Amino acid sequence: MDVLIQLLINGIMLGSMYAIISVGLTLIFGVVRVVNFAHGEFLMVGMYAVYLLFAKLGVHPYVAAVPVVILLFLLGVLIQRFIIQPLLDADEHIQIFATVGLSTALVNLALMVFGADLYSVSAPDLRQSLRLGPYTVLVGQVVMLAASLALVIGLHAFMQTTALGRAIRATAQNRTAALLMGVRVDRIYIISFGLGAACVGLAAALVSPLFPATPTVGTYFVLTAFVVVVLGGMRSMYGAFLGAMIIGLVDSLSAYYIAPDLKEVVYFAIFILILIFKPTGLFGFGRGTE
Amino acid sequence: MKLLLKAALAAGLAVSATAATAQVKIGALYPFSGGLALLGDESFRGLELAVEERNAAGGINGKKIEMVKGDAVDPNQAVGEARRLTSVEKVQAVFGTYSSSLSLAATQVTELAGVPYFELGAISDPITERGFKNLFRSNPTARDFAASMVDSIGEAIAPALGVSDPKTLKVAIIHEDSLYGQTVAGYQTARAKEKGINVVETLPYSAKSVDLTPVILRLKSAGADVVLQTSYQNDTVLFFRQAKEQGFKPKAVMGAGGGYSLRETAQAVGYENIEGALNVDFTQYKTNAAAAPGIADFVAKYKAKYGTDPRSGHSLANYVGAKIFFDAFASSKDMTAASIRESVMKIDLPQGSTASGWGAKFNEAGQNTRVKPFVMQWQGGELVTVFPAAAAVTKMKTGLGQN
Amino acid sequence: MTQQSAAASSATSGSGLLLQLTNPKVYVSLLALSLVLVIPLVSGSPFLIHVFVTICVFAALSTAWNIVGGYAGQLSLGHMMFYGIGAYTTALLIQHFGLTPWIGMWIGAVIAAVVAALIGYPCFRLRGPFFSLSTIAFLEVIRLLAIHFVGFTGGSAGLIVPLKLGWAWMVFSDKTNYLYIAFGLLLLTIGVSLAIRTSRLGYYLTAVREREDAALAAGISNSDVKLKAVIVSAMLTALIGAFHAMYLTFLEPATMFSLGTSIEVAMFSLIGGLGTVAGPLLGTVLVVPLAELARGWLGAQANGLHGFVYGTVLVLITLTLPAGLVGTFGPTVSRWIDRLPGGGRRPAERIAPALRKLEGAKGEPILTTKNLVMQFGGLTATDNVSITLKRGEILGIIGPNGAGKTTLFNQMSGFLIPTSGTVAVAGPNGAMVTPASPDGFARLGVGRTFQIVQPFGRLSVIENIMIGAFLRHPNVQDARAVALRVAATVGLLDQKDVEARNLPIGALKRLEVARTLASEPDILLLDEVMAGQNQSDTMRMVELIRSIRDTGVTVIAIEHNMQAIMSLSDRIVVIDNGRMIAEGDPREVVKDRKVIEAYLGEDFVDAQGF
Repeated sequence: MDVLIQLLINGIMLGSMYAIISVGLTLIFGVVRVVNFAHGEFLMVGMYAVYLLFAKLGVHPYVAAVPVVILLFLLGVLIQRFIIQPLLDADEHIQIFATVGLSTALVNLALMVFGADLYSVSAPDLRQSLRLGPYTVLVGQVVMLAASLALVIGLHAFMQTTALGRAIRATAQNRTAALLMGVRVDRIYIISFGLGAACVGLAAALVSPLFPATPTVGTYFVLTAFVVVVLGGMRSMYGAFLGAMIIGLVDSLSAYYIAPDLKEVVYFAIFILILIFKPTGLFGFGRGTE
Repeated sequence: MKLLLKAALAAGLAVSATAATAQVKIGALYPFSGGLALLGDESFRGLELAVEERNAAGGINGKKIEMVKGDAVDPNQAVGEARRLTSVEKVQAVFGTYSSSLSLAATQVTELAGVPYFELGAISDPITERGFKNLFRSNPTARDFAASMVDSIGEAIAPALGVSDPKTLKVAIIHEDSLYGQTVAGYQTARAKEKGINVVETLPYSAKSVDLTPVILRLKSAGADVVLQTSYQNDTVLFFRQAKEQGFKPKAVMGAGGGYSLRETAQAVGYENIEGALNVDFTQYKTNAAAAPGIADFVAKYKAKYGTDPRSGHSLANYVGAKIFFDAFASSKDMTAASIRESVMKIDLPQGSTASGWGAKFNEAGQNTRVKPFVMQWQGGELVTVFPAAAAVTKMKTGLGQN
Repeated sequence: MTQQSAAASSATSGSGLLLQLTNPKVYVSLLALSLVLVIPLVSGSPFLIHVFVTICVFAALSTAWNIVGGYAGQLSLGHMMFYGIGAYTTALLIQHFGLTPWIGMWIGAVIAAVVAALIGYPCFRLRGPFFSLSTIAFLEVIRLLAIHFVGFTGGSAGLIVPLKLGWAWMVFSDKTNYLYIAFGLLLLTIGVSLAIRTSRLGYYLTAVREREDAALAAGISNSDVKLKAVIVSAMLTALIGAFHAMYLTFLEPATMFSLGTSIEVAMFSLIGGLGTVAGPLLGTVLVVPLAELARGWLGAQANGLHGFVYGTVLVLITLTLPAGLVGTFGPTVSRWIDRLPGGGRRPAERIAPALRKLEGAKGEPILTTKNLVMQFGGLTATDNVSITLKRGEILGIIGPNGAGKTTLFNQMSGFLIPTSGTVAVAGPNGAMVTPASPDGFARLGVGRTFQIVQPFGRLSVIENIMIGAFLRHPNVQDARAVALRVAATVGLLDQKDVEARNLPIGALKRLEVARTLASEPDILLLDEVMAGQNQSDTMRMVELIRSIRDTGVTVIAIEHNMQAIMSLSDRIVVIDNGRMIAEGDPREVVKDRKVIEAYLGEDFVDAQGF
């Protein structure tokens, strides 16, 4: 029983990490409708940036979130403007290859600059265990859970209440109609891609104290993030959050009860089943795979 | 046109053939780019130092050794580079390879080409289990690693813990699931069975995993006393961090090289947390010089050439292996594959006679049988050899972490 | 560069092998292709032989991938699973049963085909990125399982192929033998790819890729053709995988089921030209040696530089050459080649085969709907509609915008399944049947057009019409002849080689009719085909519909052009709010009070003007 509860706590904490990484992908996927295979590499860039700020200037990783979020917003804007935008009307194949190419280039750039070693932000205060009876959870994980909830609620509120948010939603629903209504679709795309990347910047600041940065750190997360986004119904922030929680729990429980090396098999299988039988996502938030 | 091409090529080959007579041309096949590049390059440095040392001392019977690099990133590349080295470059022998899958692929080529291949660092046993005639390996294999680890439970850990019967210790085997982890863990399981060791859990996991808590919880539930982990860097760090978070304190943890040997791992985990962790690997640098004559000399040469301390034991293993084989070259009649094999088979160095502490005596399969990896331990931020007693620089500690 | 002509040569086929060989597109292609064999053989260098074996393997993999990724437009990023299946099956059969790889590779191909069918069938419903993601997921699952089940696959440690030399074991010390086999596999793959491209299946795949609905209306079962493509592709990939495993003599899950290689294989096609015959080969021939050289030059400079350059080049190519080498330079090169001796010929046009004989007596029921109800959430779009269509008549359906006319059409052609009620069509033996799918309706002889035109944009006008013609004429030459005849009938002959996306709306409407007509339907469902036509075109369309009816075809037409529909129809049905409010002789119907009420407004005025 103790073990089960610890596994559930662990799964939720893992889920909050997947959530904070997937929210940005949901935004990009939902609005620009581009599958961004370089999403994991944004996380990697963010984590190295956090590390550099920490190691060279002694900036606490949470403080580093501010400049890193801005940096990634700019990175996202540049990528949308100069790589994705020219390809918007091209075949989906081409878009996918462009982001795959970008991903390859970024991974290898990191390898050139930092080498294959891992760089770790030392933040012992955030890796402190909180004990709740027999159960443990890290300070950094609790912060991540709170931050992912805040981010999801905040983004949702932003989408519902602000003019820009409404314009983004309109564009996501129907690009042509939005264009006819005078929405500057290209600009909305650039902003959305920037925001999506900025969310990853926040994720990087929160993940850095818990996991070391390596050139390939993103590749592990990106496939998981896609699973989460599809599970959550592609465009819904809340859906992504719940999807992330489910994957976190599946990850934690199947590693214990089935086998640690088969946990990915379990959630990829869930992913495939969802795609085939419930393409609108688990909670019906999305509009499906049309 | 085509005739011209052929003529030009033939001429080119002729030139390289005549050039080869003035020197001994060897191929150096390592992963110089891609994900394995760091330790591939570290391995190469050992070979490079051995070649320079030999050339400074007059080469092989007066002939200088010339190295040609081959970059093997994946098995297909390894095959391609092995072809290039043996056919275009016409090398007389190939040295390599650090990675086992690259070695397996490349040696299939050299064997068919009849060119001797000297493996200085890859540990997968099947490399020398295929009945090849022109393949020799100077370093210990996964089976040797596993044997050292399992045997040390009874020979070193149990005595240190004051446990009289090692069979009462609950042992868990955890490993990443790529070739490295799976192979070593497989031999561990077999060896443990032979020795009657009580293995309570065997858990594979992906090295890219971001969460090992479930693994740790299973070890905790099983009440594991000794954990044998075969891991890379990322998963070693995760294991130590999350074991601490979950309050899992086994009596002993032992790694099989990989992540356990790297300073970056210790730094990421924290020296105070990795304190007491055991490790079996190629010989590292805090080893008793009496058991490894020349080790200090090697470190000095390395530092002089590259400006840093050696980054891992791979350079030393490659250096020692290359030196052994160069001696065999020198004693061979005519540098043909057959005569090289003959002289390699004649090598007879006792344990503790080389800079890595290994001896050299090759069996029919080409495997060096006088290699037993030492047991090391993280103590005060250094990886020091603690077992066997002859090679030890200090005594083994018990417990994990400083508190 | 010259290999591109292989794509172009697909246009020519038929009449005599010898004659074909004198066609420069054929002989230049063959010469260029043979260089892949000749260069390494002449050089005699084992290293060059290795490079060319690699080129052959990757070109063949990419060509096989292109059948799914290019022709069918299903971007599989998990294709190495078939390669791995072929490789592992062959190696395991050698290990356990001592079976020669020459047989083992075919068993591997069959297993790959089964896996492809199992995966393909459910996944083909997914479009675009979702299909790609699911293929990645499948690849990962298979790789992880291969690692996990150590006892069966050897796990991560991999399998070693025993070095038993000779042709029986496909392991040689003389490397040229590998080259012969690799080249043979490349020829086989390109041959299959070319055969598909120039056959009905090739056209169908393009149609499905471009527009699934229009393909369904042309009687194409989307999942069937995609399934055929993925099975062929998987089998070829498995054969190549089996060979490559024998060549490497070492198999491990990380290499055999590699996502990176899957992407690379797809990339060669993209660079060369997606969906072309020569593209994948060309992409491979260009990139593999460049990558080798780059690794040599840059690999030593700094760790990762080579990969960085590789990724950057990939991004630049997508930005600058999205159509690939063949798409960008193909037409120019093709024109150069046509100037060679024997070039520029066009195949002789064939005489169109006779029209399909329509059975059945005039006036008998040919399509009936009974109490059709269609609900979308709370909205009832079709409300208890029962219509009986009689063979040989022209039935007009009118009604205000949003009345539910097109929804009704969609049910009559199988595109929508009614919430309740039935649609039945006269089957070949006269019995009334209800097909399960839109393509089933089409095969039974229900041809339909779309209100919003659905041309296959990248196909020429004549090819668009051929897609319809294939339904009754599987032979490409026959279909082409039929298409030419239909093009003449609807007045599109002058524009027959124009790409459909460049047509004006009026011509697109006629193309819509032509494609449907070419399928030689019993029943023709026309959805506002007069919209966007000028006066004289409308007159011609009216004449055309009459003449179609005169050949025995039954016609239902939705039309807003009152003048035209009233003069054309034998009978009129008026739909409003999903209900049938009037039915009967055109002159009677327009006087109906309910109809006038329904039409109050501009349509009413139009009707009065008539």
